[in-house]
Amino acid sequence: MPAAFSGKRPAPLLRLLLLLCLSLPGGTPADPTMTTQDASQFQANSLTKMRAGLNESSSEPVTTARTVNWKTSGSSSDHLTLEHSVSTPGPDLATQVFKQASKENVSNLTFVEYEVLLPGVSGTSVEKNITLDSATRIELSCRLDNKYSHLKSFQVTWKRGNETIRHINKTENSWGIQLRILDNSKLGSYSCTLKGEEEISAVFHLQVPKIEGKEKNIVSYEGDTAVLVCKSSGYTPIAWTWYMINGSEQIAINDSLMADKYVINRIPTNVTHLKIVKLTKEDDGAYWCEAAFELGKSKGKLKLKILSLMVPLKPFLAIVAEVVILVTIIFLYEIYSKKKEKHAEEEKEFDQVEQLKSEESNGLENSSARHRKI
Amino acid sequence: MPTPHHAGRAPGLPDGGWGWVVVFGAFVSIGFAYAFPKGVAIFFKEIQDFFGTSYSEIAWVSSIMLATTYGAGPISSILVNRYGSRPVVIFGGLLCGIGMVSAAFCTSILQLYICVGFITGFGLALNLQPSVIIIGKYFLKRRPIANGLAMAGSPVMLCTLAPLNQFLFDNFGWRGSFLILGAILLHCCVAGALFRPIRAATASVKTQSIEEGKGALKEEVTEDAMEMSSPTNVPMEGKMEEEGGKDCCEKINQYLDFSLFKHRGFLIYLIGNVLMFLGFFAPIVFLAPYAKHIGIDEYSAAFLLSILAIVDMIARPTTGIIANSKWVRPRIQYFFSFSIAFNGACHLLCPLASGYTGLVIYSIFFGLAFGMVCAMLFETLMDLVGAARFTSAVGLVTIAECCTILLGPPIGGTLIDTFGDYKYMFIKCGAVMVLAGTFLFIMNYYNYRMLAKEEKERKAKEDDPKSVRTENEGRNNWNKETAQNGPELEPLREEQEIQKKEVNGTNEV
Repeated sequence: MPAAFSGKRPAPLLRLLLLLCLSLPGGTPADPTMTTQDASQFQANSLTKMRAGLNESSSEPVTTARTVNWKTSGSSSDHLTLEHSVSTPGPDLATQVFKQASKENVSNLTFVEYEVLLPGVSGTSVEKNITLDSATRIELSCRLDNKYSHLKSFQVTWKRGNETIRHINKTENSWGIQLRILDNSKLGSYSCTLKGEEEISAVFHLQVPKIEGKEKNIVSYEGDTAVLVCKSSGYTPIAWTWYMINGSEQIAINDSLMADKYVINRIPTNVTHLKIVKLTKEDDGAYWCEAAFELGKSKGKLKLKILSLMVPLKPFLAIVAEVVILVTIIFLYEIYSKKKEKHAEEEKEFDQVEQLKSEESNGLENSSARHRKI
Repeated sequence: MPTPHHAGRAPGLPDGGWGWVVVFGAFVSIGFAYAFPKGVAIFFKEIQDFFGTSYSEIAWVSSIMLATTYGAGPISSILVNRYGSRPVVIFGGLLCGIGMVSAAFCTSILQLYICVGFITGFGLALNLQPSVIIIGKYFLKRRPIANGLAMAGSPVMLCTLAPLNQFLFDNFGWRGSFLILGAILLHCCVAGALFRPIRAATASVKTQSIEEGKGALKEEVTEDAMEMSSPTNVPMEGKMEEEGGKDCCEKINQYLDFSLFKHRGFLIYLIGNVLMFLGFFAPIVFLAPYAKHIGIDEYSAAFLLSILAIVDMIARPTTGIIANSKWVRPRIQYFFSFSIAFNGACHLLCPLASGYTGLVIYSIFFGLAFGMVCAMLFETLMDLVGAARFTSAVGLVTIAECCTILLGPPIGGTLIDTFGDYKYMFIKCGAVMVLAGTFLFIMNYYNYRMLAKEEKERKAKEDDPKSVRTENEGRNNWNKETAQNGPELEPLREEQEIQKKEVNGTNEV
C-alpha cells in the first residue's frame, strides 16, 4: 500500500509550508498510534507526510499531503489503519518542523487529501468518517481500481444531499472535489457516485471530533466527591463547558460562581475534569460536557448516580452474618463429631479390654490344660 | 515417603476423609490469595480519575499487595509453627476484611496503599502459607492430587472475581465495592474454620523425637524429628525467655528453621524458583496489551486471558493426578523441571504466532504450562524437605521469590519500551524459564543420585547387628514413655498393648 506522495503543485493562491514528521518506531506498548495534537497547529500552515516510507526532508515547497489510501473490498481486514503523527517539537518525539518562507496571502489552512478506492461490486457503499477540528482545505477523491477500468461509459457525480458539486478529473480513473471547510455549515456527508451499468458510490462524512463521555453510570455517595471526566480524542477544543440536565433544561455549570461545589480542571486541554464536592441527592442526573471547536461543538454525556451509605451496607451485613453462621456451624459440628469420636473410642477400648480379659482367661485355661496334660 | 517401619509404628496421615474438606478450604483460601490482587485491578481506572493520579501510582497498590503477600511469608510460617494453621488463617481473614472495609473510607492514595496494599496483603499472606502447609499435614500418598486441587482455586477465583468485581463496581461504585469485598474476604475465616488441627502427625513425631534421644537410626526421620521437636519446645522456651535473655539468633531458629539453608534439595529448589519467577508472570501481564498491539480488539484480547484461565483451571488438578501416579511420583522433580522448560519454550515460540488464531493456540499452551507449574510448585518443595520442615521452608522460599516476582513485569516493561517490540520480552521470559528448567533438571538428577547413595549407606547401617539391639532397647523405652503421654496417643497405646502381648506370648510359649 504505497503512501501516495502527491507531487502536485497547488493553486498559486495557497500558502504552503513543509512539516516533516519523523516519528520513532514504537512508543508505549499500549498506544502504538501516536496522535499528539499541537494547539497551535491551526495557527500555522502545516502539511503532514505519511509515516510509512517517507522520512526524508525536502526543502522544496512541495505540497505533500496527508494522503490516506483506503482500500475497501468488502472486508475490513484490508483496512489500512491510519497511523500518522501530527506532532510538535517536544522532548519525547523527534520531530522536525521546517517552516518555509511564506507567500504574501497567508491563509492559515491545513490541507488534507483523502482518497477512496471504489469497489467494483455494485450495491455496496463505502463510507469514510473524517474528523476535522479546524478550518481546512480538503480534497476528496474517488478512484476506480485499475482492474475495473474495463467499466467504461459511466457518469460521475459528486453530491452533498441534493446539491451537486463540480468535480475535477484528477486522472483517468479518479475524480475529486476540493472544499474549503470554514465553519459548521460545510460539514456533512459528501458522496461520489459512479453510474454506469451498475452504481458504485462512496460517502465521506465530515464531522467535528467526538467526545468520549461514559456510557455507564458513575456511582458515588452522599457527602463524597465525584469526578466526571471527558476526553476529546486527540483534538484540542477551544473551550470546554459543562452542563447539568435538570428535567428538560440544561444549566451551565459556572465554577467561579460556585467554587465550593464545582471545580473544573481544563488542563491538559484535551481532557476536562468536573469535580463535584459534597454530593447530595440533587446532584443525581445527567451531565454534558461540551467542547467547542472552530468548526462546531461536540458533546459527551455522563450520568451520575448518588447512593446513600445504606445501600452497600445491607449486602455487607448480610454477607457478614452468613460468614458468622457458617463458622458457628463448622465449630459446632466439630465439637459434636469429637464427642462422637470419644464415645466410639471409649466403647472400642471397653470392647478391647473385654477381649483381652477373655483371651487371658482362655490362655490361662490353655496353659493350665497344657500343664495338666504334661 | 514413609518406609514400612513407620507405618507400623505411627498412625498414617488421613489421606482422605476430612482431608478433602481441608482441601476445599485451602482451595478458597489460596484462590483469594492469588486472585484478589489481580481482581482488584478493575477498579483502578476509576480510582485513578478520582484521586487524579497517574496509572503507575495506582499500579503500586497491586504491587504492594503482592509484595506483602509474598514478603510476609516468614512471619506466616513463624505463626503457624507457634499456633497451628487454623488461628492464623482466621486472623488473616479478619485482617483482610478490616483492610478492605477501611479502604472503602480512604481519602488519599497513600491510605489506599496502606489499607489495600499492606493490611489486606498481610492478611492474604496469613491465608496462603497455612493453607499450603496444612495440606502437607493431612496428605501423603495423595498429596499431589490434593495440592493440584487446592491450587486450582486461583484460576477459579479469578474467573469468579472478575465479573463479580465488575458487577459490584457498576452498582456500588468503588467505595461500596471495597466494602462488600471486605465482607467477601471474610470467607477466608470460614475456610480457616475448616482447618481442623491434626494431632496424629505431632504424636508420631513426638515418639520419633524420643526415639532419636535413644539413638535411633532413620536419618531422614531424625532430621524431621529434631526440627519438629523445636516447635513443641517453644512454649517452654518462651518461659525461659522471660527468665533469662535468649540469644536472638537461636530464638529465631526455633521459630523459623534457618538450617534449611544447609539442605541440598532446598537450595536447589530456591535457586531454580527464584530464577523462574523472573519470567513467570510478565507474559500474563503483557498478553492483552500485546494482542492489542498487533491489532486485536479489546474484547478478544480479554478473551485470550479467559481461555488461559479456563485451561489453567483444568490443568492443575490433572497435573496433580498425573504427578500422583506411580511412574511420576518418584521422579516428580523431573516433571516439574520439564513443565518449567515447556513454559519457557511456549514463550520463545510466541513471537512466531501470527494473528488471532496463533495467539489463541499460545494461550492454550501457556495456560497448560502455567497450570502444571503452579500445581506442583509447593508439592515439589514438600517432596524435597518433608512435611515437617515445610512450614519454615515455604516462608523462606516466598520471601526470596518476592523480589523476582516484583522485578519480572517491570523488567519486561522496560524491554518493551526500549525496543518497542514485545518479542524481546517474550524471548527474555522464555530464555529465563528454559534456563531455570534445565538447571532444576540437572541439579535434581544430582540430588536424586545423592539421596540414593545416602539411602544405601543408611540401609547398610541398619543391617548391622549392633544397631538392632539398640533399636529394641529404644522400642522398650519408647513404650514406657508413651504410656505416660496424653490421650492423643491412645491409638498408639493400644498398639503397644498388642506388641506387649506378643512379647509376653512368645515368652510364655
